[in-house]
Amino acid sequence: MLTHDALIRLCRARECLREADAAQGIHALAREAGFSTGVFIRRFSAVFGTTPHQLRIASRIDRAKRLLAEGGASITDVCYEVGFESLGSFSDLFARRVGVAPTAYRRRWHVAESLVARSPGCLDLMAAAFARFERA
Amino acid sequence: MRIKLTSIMVDDQDKALAFYTGVLGFVVKHDIPVGEFRWITVVSPEGPNDLELSLEPNANPAGRTFQEALLKQGIPATAFEVADIGAEYERLRARGVVFTQTPKAAGPVTIAVFVDTCGNLIQIYQPPG
Repeated sequence: MLTHDALIRLCRARECLREADAAQGIHALAREAGFSTGVFIRRFSAVFGTTPHQLRIASRIDRAKRLLAEGGASITDVCYEVGFESLGSFSDLFARRVGVAPTAYRRRWHVAESLVARSPGCLDLMAAAFARFERA
Repeated sequence: MRIKLTSIMVDDQDKALAFYTGVLGFVVKHDIPVGEFRWITVVSPEGPNDLELSLEPNANPAGRTFQEALLKQGIPATAFEVADIGAEYERLRARGVVFTQTPKAAGPVTIAVFVDTCGNLIQIYQPPG
């Protein structure tokens, strides 16, 4: 069983992993959370459904998507802002995870979508889903 | 007026679909792409078939803040009824589900609480009798 205290420590570790400038390695995070590295990775994965490393990558991509949708910053600025050290690896990873390159992603939001559409509620999704059937 | 639809916020819809169907055993009713997200609902194979649970993306920062606060406070986001909580506890534990509360009596019902891997605590309860 996971104690409430351990759950809170894992939640804090998740918050650290999501911070843009958090350079802490997994070993240090595990130590801070009071676990050995192996136990930390196992517990974290069982609770959050993803490894600490993958969560950090996913958070960076999410933040990049938000910055790209907002416009303004260059692709290079976004890359460094979210914590990547190489533009090439950022662009490759972004394209693999999101399905389009960062430039195409930004263009898509500038042309067609509002920022509100990036965070639809439950019934917005239902309405849009059933509207597709009506059009078909 | 009837209650036919309820929802739970999830931090990743793919992960949620895998957990709510592959681990909990619910069945997909709708799975329709909508832009970056999907309209996903599941139903329980134990019924009723027309009462759907929507796996809603918590893309809204306000929703995420709320979900994370509930988790840290140890408060379940929702509850599902089970017929045999001891058997359900063993079944889910064998599938790697992490419990924050093992089955315990709470007045006339027995409850347990587990993590859904998508940012929520879920309570299960066995009613009396």
